Amino acid sequence: MRDVAFVVPVYNEASVIGDVIADILKVTPHAVCVNDGSRDASAAEIVKAGAYLVDHPINMGQGAALQTGIEFARSLPGVERFVTFDADGQHLVEDAKRMVDLLEGGDVDIVLGSRFLGASVGASKAKKALLRAAVAFSNVTSGVRLTDAHNGLRAFNRHVADTIEITAPDMTHASEIVELIARNRYRYREVPVTIHYTEYSRSKGQASVNALNIAVDTLLRKVGRQ
Amino acid sequence: MILVQLLLVGSFAAVFFYALRSRTAHGVSATKKLAFMAFMLVVLIAVFSPRLVTDVANVVGVGRGTDLVLYLLAVMFCFYVVNDYLRGQESRNQVHKLARRIAVLEALERYDVTREVPAANQPVGADDDRS
Repeated sequence: MRDVAFVVPVYNEASVIGDVIADILKVTPHAVCVNDGSRDASAAEIVKAGAYLVDHPINMGQGAALQTGIEFARSLPGVERFVTFDADGQHLVEDAKRMVDLLEGGDVDIVLGSRFLGASVGASKAKKALLRAAVAFSNVTSGVRLTDAHNGLRAFNRHVADTIEITAPDMTHASEIVELIARNRYRYREVPVTIHYTEYSRSKGQASVNALNIAVDTLLRKVGRQ
Repeated sequence: MILVQLLLVGSFAAVFFYALRSRTAHGVSATKKLAFMAFMLVVLIAVFSPRLVTDVANVVGVGRGTDLVLYLLAVMFCFYVVNDYLRGQESRNQVHKLARRIAVLEALERYDVTREVPAANQPVGADDDRS
C-alpha cells in the first residue's frame, strides 16, 4: 500500500487525530492531514503523529480541505491511489484497504464506502432514515445509483485525483462528488463498510437539519448549470 | 424647486460623482456605465415631474406612480441580492483557490517534495505546471 495516500480533512479533532494517523501509518507512509483552520491543537497533533500537515490559512470547509489534500497528495512521488478518510475515527483502515484493492484491476476509477451495504454500529433509527432519504434524493438528482451518498470513505485512482475539482466548500461536497462522478463519467463501485458511531463522532457529526441545506444547495447547483 | 427635490437631486448628484471618481470603475464596461447614466436621467425626470411617472404607471395598468416605483424597486432589489450572492460565491472561490495554493506550496516546501514536472517543458524559474 506504499502507493496509497490517505487524505484526511481535520477540523478541531486534536483528541482523536493522533490515533487515526497511527492506524493509517501502519499501512502507508502517506497520511495527508489538511488542518482546516482548527482552533485547537490539531496541527501540533498531526505533526507529532508523523503525518503530512497541510495547513489552511483560514477555515474553508471540509470539501475545500479534501480538494487541498488531493492536490498535495498527487504531488507526492510514487503515489498512485488515494483514499479520503474521516478524522473522527469512524472509518476502518481495513475497509480502506479492501477498497484500494478493488482499484487494482483497473476497471473502476472510484470506490465508495456504503453504510447500508455494511454494518452501522451505533447509528440511531432517525439517522438511518434520514440518510436513506438523502440517498434517494441523490440518486434522482445525479443519476448515479448509490446506496449511501454521504460517506466520507472513498478510494480512487490517479485519473480521478487529477481531474476532480470540488468547489462546494462545506458539507455539500459529498453530493458534489456524486455529481462529478456522473459528469466526468468515472467508473464507480460501492462496497459495504463499517461505520463506527462513537459518542465522539456523534457529537461531532452533522446536525440533521443540515440535510435540508444540502438538498437545497444541490438543487440550486443543478439549476445553475443548465 | 421644492425642498425634497433639492435633497433628492443633491443626493443623486453625490452618488453620481462618487461613481465617477472611483478608481475601481475602470474595469466596468461602457454599457454598464451608460446604463447607469440613463438610470440617473430617469431618476431626475421622475423627481421633477411625478406626473409623468403616474402617466407611465397608468399605461402599464398601475394606479399610482409611487406604486410603480415601489414595484420596480422590489424587482431591482431581487436582482441585486442574487447578483451580490453570486459575486460573493465567486470571490469566495477565488480566496479558496489562493489559500489552497498557499497551503499546498508551503507544505511541498516543508516536506521538500519535488514536484513532477515533465522534463520537456521546464523553463527556468517557472514553477507553475498547472493550468
